[in-house]
Amino acid sequence: MDTDGASKHHATHGFAQGLKSGLPIFLGYLPVGAAFGVVSRAAGFSVLQAASCSALALAGAGQFIGLSLYESGATVLAVLVASSVVNLRYVLFGATLVPMMRGIGMPAQAGLAFFLTDETYAVNVLELRSARATAASMLGVGLIAWSGWVLGTTVGAVAGSAIGDPSRWGLQYAMPAMFTALLVGLVEDRSHVVTAAIAAAFTLLFAATLPGNWYLVLAALAAATVATVVFE
Amino acid sequence: MSAEIWAIVIGMGVANYAIRLTPVAALSRVEIPGVVRRWLSYVPVSVLAAIVANEILLPRGEWIVPWDNPYLVAAIPTAATYWWTKSFIGTTLLGIVYFLGARALLG
Repeated sequence: MDTDGASKHHATHGFAQGLKSGLPIFLGYLPVGAAFGVVSRAAGFSVLQAASCSALALAGAGQFIGLSLYESGATVLAVLVASSVVNLRYVLFGATLVPMMRGIGMPAQAGLAFFLTDETYAVNVLELRSARATAASMLGVGLIAWSGWVLGTTVGAVAGSAIGDPSRWGLQYAMPAMFTALLVGLVEDRSHVVTAAIAAAFTLLFAATLPGNWYLVLAALAAATVATVVFE
Repeated sequence: MSAEIWAIVIGMGVANYAIRLTPVAALSRVEIPGVVRRWLSYVPVSVLAAIVANEILLPRGEWIVPWDNPYLVAAIPTAATYWWTKSFIGTTLLGIVYFLGARALLG
């Protein structure tokens, strides 16, 4: 009885600690989520669809990329592949987290995996390294991050309905500007600069020569493959 | 239209969870080979570069000559703004301002 009460207290404390650690993520996700809400409304999503997309996928750039392809008339499958490919890095993140989570059961790990993002990864890795992270604290981090993303999206989607014609405000440039910022942020060294240039060149080449809307995904995968071969 | 969007919404949820679950389900038993690891490390940059090229060089699916293209012209100060400020939201908002300026200048 006593140990049960103590571990319950421990879990509650860990969860609260996780919420606290994740608060900066919440604040960071609000405006970006709101941006997704606005542009997804402009692309024809309902408020419910925009909020559901954020709630189910929690996919940041992946969601914007999917939206960009949907607007350019790509098939559902092409949209899904493009938006997933950019998040393949979560396989890498997860691969580094799993060995650090030995004390946490498989079902809990499977649940926590849902909340894996760049930001929750950064916070959890830090706390796992200093042995402060528990399943409860990681759930706290995940839930507060998720709340910020979904709340931001909902607010943005509702506000987006009031904005009217988005092109009058230059809002069609919101996504290109965001992607440009994301790209600049991702570039770490010269090999990344070259990879980006190859991907851009493949995009133009494939857009001109391949039928349909798969050129973008193919260009990205081809560029990553060339980079892997060239930068040994 | 709406059914297509729902398919995207649900598909994205399923796909992203599948990606996140892969290491939990497959790992500790299997080590990711170095070459796959390196390939994965180049994927985000490649995807973002392809997306940016598509958005600014082929806006609405059509090639525009660079010096007449407000999408491309605005991207240069946008990239510089992120480089200096590291502010995602600030860069997006300023990017829109640059675009409005470029569009006004280029007609």
